[in-house]
Formats: sequence, C-alpha cells, structure tokens
Amino acid sequence: MTTYLFYFLSFLAIMFALMVVLSKNPIHSVLYLVLTFFAIAGHYVLLNAQFLAAVHIIVYAGAIMVLFLFVIMLLNLNKETEPHKSLWLKGMAAVASGSLLVVLVGSLKNAGQMQAAAPYNGSIGLIENLGQTLFHEFLLPFEVASILLLGAMVGAVMLGKKSIK
Amino acid sequence: MTALILLSALGVIALLAEIFSFKKLLYPVVILGLITTFVLNLVDWNTDKLWYGMMRYDNFAVAFSSVLIGITTLWFIMAENFFKEESSLTDHFALILFALVGGIVMVSYTNMTMLFLGIEILSIPMYVLAASKKEDVSSNEAGFKYLILGAFSTGFLLFGIALIYGSTASFDLPVIADFITSHNGAVPGMFYIGILLILVAMVFKVSAVPFHFWAPDVYQGAPTSVTAFMATIVKTAAFAAFLRLFASTFAGAGSVWIDVLWVIAALTLLVGNITAVVQTSTKRMLAYSSIAHAGYMLLALIALNSFTQSSVLFYSLAYSIGSIASFGVLGIVATSRGNDTTDAFNGLAKTNPLLAVAMTVALLSLAGIPPTAGFFAKYYIFTAAFASGYGWLVLIAILASLIGVYYYFRIIIAMFFKESTEAAIEVTANHKLLFILTIVLTIALGLFPDFIIRLL
Repeated sequence: MTTYLFYFLSFLAIMFALMVVLSKNPIHSVLYLVLTFFAIAGHYVLLNAQFLAAVHIIVYAGAIMVLFLFVIMLLNLNKETEPHKSLWLKGMAAVASGSLLVVLVGSLKNAGQMQAAAPYNGSIGLIENLGQTLFHEFLLPFEVASILLLGAMVGAVMLGKKSIK
Repeated sequence: MTALILLSALGVIALLAEIFSFKKLLYPVVILGLITTFVLNLVDWNTDKLWYGMMRYDNFAVAFSSVLIGITTLWFIMAENFFKEESSLTDHFALILFALVGGIVMVSYTNMTMLFLGIEILSIPMYVLAASKKEDVSSNEAGFKYLILGAFSTGFLLFGIALIYGSTASFDLPVIADFITSHNGAVPGMFYIGILLILVAMVFKVSAVPFHFWAPDVYQGAPTSVTAFMATIVKTAAFAAFLRLFASTFAGAGSVWIDVLWVIAALTLLVGNITAVVQTSTKRMLAYSSIAHAGYMLLALIALNSFTQSSVLFYSLAYSIGSIASFGVLGIVATSRGNDTTDAFNGLAKTNPLLAVAMTVALLSLAGIPPTAGFFAKYYIFTAAFASGYGWLVLIAILASLIGVYYYFRIIIAMFFKESTEAAIEVTANHKLLFILTIVLTIALGLFPDFIIRLL
C-alpha cells in the first residue's frame, strides 16, 4: 500500500515539476509548483514526519508561493512578454542538462541493490526527535543560521530603502 | 571560534550605530575590532579544538582566518569611500562583517551543514553589496546575475550533499572520510555523483572555467570596493573550503575528481589569461585575471601532497594583497579620470609616483616576477604540482603566466612611458598608508616567504 502511494506521489511530483517548466504562463507555473510542494509534503507524511510536512506546506506553499504570485502579478508578466531565447542557447541548455541526466541515471541505476546506509527508524521524523537533534547535535549550525537570516534581512532593508538626498 | 563570536558581535554593533547615532565613530571602531580579532585569533594557534563536532579550529583554520581578517582590515582602509554614503553606511559595515563571519565558518567547518551555512552567509551579503549602487543599472545587473547563478550553484551543492548523506548517513567530514577508506573502491555510484555535484558548486564559487560566466559581469558591474572584496576574501574563503573538503575528506576518492579538475584548471588558466588580453576595461581585465589566478590555485589542489595547504595559503595571501592594491589604485584613477581603460593610467608615474609604484609592485606580484610575493607563490604552486607528476599542467600554467605578463605590463608601460596632460590626483592619507603597506608587504613576503610557508 505504502509503496503504491510512494509511486503515486512521486509520479505526481515529477508531473507537476515538468508542468512548472513547460507551461507558458508564469502564473500557471507557480500554481503547479504549489502542487509539487504538496506532493513532496505527502512524501514527508509517508516517512512519518508530520511536522516537516506541515512546515513545508505552510512555509513553501503558503508564504513563499504567495509572495511569488504577488511579484508576478505586480510585474504583469504573461505569455507575450516572455523573451525569445535563441536556438543556440536552447541547444546548449538541452546538451548540458541532458548530460547531467545521463550521469545521474547512470549513477542511480543500481540504487535498488544498494544497502541503506542507516536502517529506517519510524520515529525519526517526529517533532520530539527533530528538536533533540536540532538543539543538541546541530546547536551550532542552528545559532549560526541566525547570522545568515540577519544578514539577509539587513541586505533586503538596504536595497529597499530610499537613499537620503 | 573567538573570531566567529567577535565578528558577529562587531556586525551587530555596526547595526546599533544607527540607533545610538555613533556613525562617525564606527569606522575606527570596526578597524580596531578587526585588529583585536586578528590578535585574539592567533591565540588559538596550536590548540586544535573541535567545537560541538561542527567546527575544528586547527592550524589550517587559524592561518586562513588570519589571512581573511588581515585582508579585510586592508580592504577597509582601501574602501573608505564605500563608507561615505550617509543613508546605508551602517548596513555596508554590517554586511561586510557578516560576510567575513561566513568566511570564518568556511575555513573551519567539519560538517556539511556548516559548509552550506558558511557559503550562504558569505554569499548573501555579496549579492546585496554587488547591487549596492542602486541608481547604476550595471550594478543592479551584477547583483541580480550573481543572485540567480549563485542560487543555482547552491542547488548543486545541496543536491551533492544530499546524495552523500544518502550513501553515508552522515554530514560529518571524518565519518565520510572513513566511509571512503572502509569501502575501498566499492563506494556506491551515488556517492561519486555527490562529490562531482559539490565540485561543480565549489568551482562556481572560485569562478573557474567553465563556471566563470558570471564573474566578469559581476566584477565589472559591482562597485570597485565590492569587486575587490569578492576577488580577495570570497576567493580565499572559497579555496580554503575547497581544500578542507577535497584535499582531506574526498582525497581517498581522488580518482573521480582529479581528472575533472585537471581539465578545469587547464581551461581556467588558458581562457582566463587569453580573454584578459583582449579587454579594454581594466576592471574587466582584472576580473579575468582573477579567474586565471583561481586556475593556479587549483594546481595545488590537484597536486594533493604535503605542499598543497601551505602553497595555497601563500598564494591566496600574495594574490589578495596584490588585488587590494591594484583595485585600490584602479578605483582612485577611474573616479578621477572618468574611465578605466589603459589610457586612464597614462603618465601616472609623473603625476602620482606613489600610485604608480604601488600599482607596479602589485601587478608585478600578480604576474609573478621576482622579488615580489607573487613569484614565490607561483613557484611553490608549480613545485607542488611538479612533485606529484603533473608536468604538462605546469607547462600550461607557465605559458599562461607568460600571457599574463603581457597584459599586466600594458598598464605599467602606460603609467611610465606614456605622456598625459591630466593633473595629479589627490590621494587621502589613509590610502597613502595603505599603498605603502602593500608595497612593503609584497616585497617582504617575496624576500622572506619561509615565514608563511612553514606555518602549515
């Protein structure tokens, strides 16, 4: 049952991700991206990580994608304004990403026979264990991340404010 | 660790200056703070402490973080004009100091999460600072381009880290190194592709060919001070992170990435130097030369022997001092003469001998002419590569540095042998001090390179 669900969710995630890239209208792309995030949140639930699933939906699908939509609507982007890319550029992009695809498939094709590096622990995604890991083992990165956020915030304010004449 | 805390605190103090209005005092406070941090950072020498299993402050970390802090201090003297604009002065201070914190994390991490955080803490302030000349379109373009491409390379980094985590179940570098030795050749393919994806991200950060396309535009568009910061501190930190990961942890899996890096280094040396020749803008020329210098440093990484760490340390120090001086002179000349072509330097030796001499010493050092620091820097790198049997690569590098001599000398010739009717440029006392300091340091490092080389 879980296996079927896994394949179904993966299929949805890949389909929606493809639609993000393929759809011409930027608004549709963003909406498909929201659906992709929901499919991935489904994967988190399958791994018994309800907290991550909820946060994923609230932060990504909720906050960030709404922001995305606002920006796109404010910029008034649509099919007509999309710049035309040269054939040469498209060809190069196809070659580069095609090679990456070949390398990834080549390296992952034997993944089925691989030994899992760590056995699956059903309670690993629970919020209690997440907190324990975050505030014991990963305490320093957790604190250092505050500098990252502060730096990003200061930067955003600096770019946003008017210069005094 | 001391440096990490002190610099973060200094960054917060810079932000508080806006509220408590001691903006005028901030410049000396930050310089003093940096010098204090530099001294206290040296106290950690030979202590080799592991912090929470996330940061290892060994001699490698102390040496590279001292270089970063020292060069930042020089940079602050060089970039005093960058801190003249009243409205976003404290933000500039804070962002630079936070970027430096990221650099400190990047030289001392022993965990993939810290690597990621370090790279992001360094990059995000740089994206913003590249766009800090808000009314200038090319500065906006630089910031935007850097942000988009930088985010893309971060994607590669995370994908690589995820694949490595998937095969080893750990972010910890010693555990990953043990995984390679214990599996001895039978490492899953997923692990290899993880290494290669991380390699792509790191090579992007040091702007090596073919991941260099962002560098010329960003370097040219950003304000000159920010360009100097990117060419020195960002590059040094990225190389230290590169070494920490590839020269120790992934050294056991060298067969996967050394050949790839060989090609990247050869391409970087050739493309960087040859493209630099045809540039008319000096700033863009220095951007391409900075790409080429990444190629030389990659040589030491490929060599993967006992000289690797010390030669990269010396090279990044010599290169950073040379870059600070050359970007400093370029900034002054370009603002007063209105353009940054080679002709702007005409007759500088007559009007401003100090600027001309500082620029000459810096360019000679970048070109690798004795007795400057740059000569020994290249010498040690080539020795390291030669000792590991990369004769062909050394040959390419020597040819590439000959091309380099050509475009560096074009500016020296313009300064000394061409006439110009331009008036003398006024140079502030701080800048004079800086240029005397860089001249002395470049010559001193060239005469006594053992001081630095023996450290690691």
